Amino acid sequence: MNFEHRNAGAAAWAAALCFLAATPAPAADPQLCAACHGPEGNSIIPANPSLAGQPAQAISTQLYQFREGNRKDPQMSPMAANLSNKEMNELAAYFSKQEATAPTHKTSPEHAAAGPKLAQQFNCVQCHGPALHGQQHIPRLAGQQYDYVLAQLRKFRAHARADLDGNMTAATEPLTERDIEVLADYVAGLNPQ
Amino acid sequence: MNSSKALAAAFLTVFGTAALAQQTPPAAPPSWKQGMTPEQGKSTLHPFAPYMTGRSAAELPLDKLKVPAGFKVEVWADGIPEARSLALGDRGTVFVSNRLAKNVYAVVDKGGKREVKTVLRGLNAPNGIAFSKGTLFVAERDRITRYDGIESNLDNPPAPKIVVDNLDPTQQPGHFWKYLALGPDGKLYFNIGAPGNIVMPSYMQASVMRVNPADGKLETVAQGVRNSVGITFNPKTKEVWFTNHGRDWLGDDSPNDTLHRVSINAKSVPNFGYPFCHQGDTIDPEYGKNRSCKEFAKPALKLGTHIAPLGVKFYTGKMFPAVYQNTLFIAMHGSWNRQPKQGYNIMHVTFDAKGNPKMEPFLTGFLQDEKADPPMWGRPVDILQMKDGSLLFSDDYNGIVYRISYSK
Repeated sequence: MNFEHRNAGAAAWAAALCFLAATPAPAADPQLCAACHGPEGNSIIPANPSLAGQPAQAISTQLYQFREGNRKDPQMSPMAANLSNKEMNELAAYFSKQEATAPTHKTSPEHAAAGPKLAQQFNCVQCHGPALHGQQHIPRLAGQQYDYVLAQLRKFRAHARADLDGNMTAATEPLTERDIEVLADYVAGLNPQ
Repeated sequence: MNSSKALAAAFLTVFGTAALAQQTPPAAPPSWKQGMTPEQGKSTLHPFAPYMTGRSAAELPLDKLKVPAGFKVEVWADGIPEARSLALGDRGTVFVSNRLAKNVYAVVDKGGKREVKTVLRGLNAPNGIAFSKGTLFVAERDRITRYDGIESNLDNPPAPKIVVDNLDPTQQPGHFWKYLALGPDGKLYFNIGAPGNIVMPSYMQASVMRVNPADGKLETVAQGVRNSVGITFNPKTKEVWFTNHGRDWLGDDSPNDTLHRVSINAKSVPNFGYPFCHQGDTIDPEYGKNRSCKEFAKPALKLGTHIAPLGVKFYTGKMFPAVYQNTLFIAMHGSWNRQPKQGYNIMHVTFDAKGNPKMEPFLTGFLQDEKADPPMWGRPVDILQMKDGSLLFSDDYNGIVYRISYSK
């Protein structure tokens, strides 16, 4: 598989693979995930999150949420539906060990300046860590896909995304649309290492 | 203090100075951060989430678990997501609940092998379960229901019947999960937690209550109880005993979590002090200003600060040595709101001739490094006595149920 062309063509090809991969899989093969989440889990599709270098427990928790139907997505729900706990743990361990590559996203200077204050003010750093690298069941935000972060923050705020303990729903309630755009632009450009 | 200064102080308390400097609406902190002082604003302490997909017993350092001589601890069943409360069916089915997921599981014996079945789905934080005479009672966030004859219909359980509902009128993010225990009076005892760390509860919150399953009538058993997630009954005196979690963000060494005893025939309802007084002798710096701890009932025992006592059980079985008869076991979920960490064990409480309790460790080894994050590899939750006198206990962090047995 050649993923060196980071363009619309590659994205379309990957999206097509996603469709193929959505058919029932015999085993938990990380290569099936790579079709949508990028090589070694470094996503090249704006709507899909990077998994590389994420905390293992953060990945397994989300796979669990998809399998249990708490989180729904036309592509992810069928992918997770037949995974056992063991397979989820194995996939999580695999992607947590992959190296997260530097993001291609470039944060605007204005948002790079405003981002840290918002991340402090809205308690992002309290759980996701001072560098927003995540910990335990809490995902890394640094270097995550801009479109994905944007969509998730909007969903949390609308009480439309599964939330293990209610913390993210509560944390996003006071965000304005502008805050969400600034935060997503800020974290997407951060170094994941 | 005038009202504008008081308002500013309140904002500072909750949101810290950084937020105040911004001319934007203050952010709601996660509910577990409520009650932090401005000085604690940079604290990195945080609660721990369980592995929702569980961890295999094979990958865990089980040899680290220590029990007294003659006792043995082993994995009884694994692969039970976020195993919380335990209940034993008449026919030997072990029911297992959870609070962050939505299911109730049953562990059944299938040809000598234990099988984990999902029996109930789509529930709302079904942390509390109790079994009696063929019926499984389930305490969800907002209601208690009953499933009659469930043990003979595990693959096709009956529809729930409501015992009582509307138990969560304020829909707050804190302490919404309930423990459930059946008393010797045939009534179901349960907690309604305070809706946050340190907040003024409504008339029915921060309490232990009971409901008669025959008619749905509710009664208050105890008030001023921040959150109890472990309730049991003394087999001799018929008292209800329960554990309680003290408030957070009052420092590493204050206040203690507590153990309480109340006669189920008490003429009046004791108030144990929350949010005004903690552990029977410590005034809350905010809510307790004009109050005295003399107004309130005292706990039976202080259990340690931020140690998170959950399941509690009197031992009445025949397997353990006679000295264990009618003594108490308490599962400590372990601390997050202190440094260094403590707990993550099962404690044993004995009573002297005058009934004074004394506590010592019984099962240890889940705590690996009191300064690490996370500091533990497992967390005890609930305790269940089996018919043969062995004890089961659950570990929600790994989704495992363990068995403790004794032989000479």
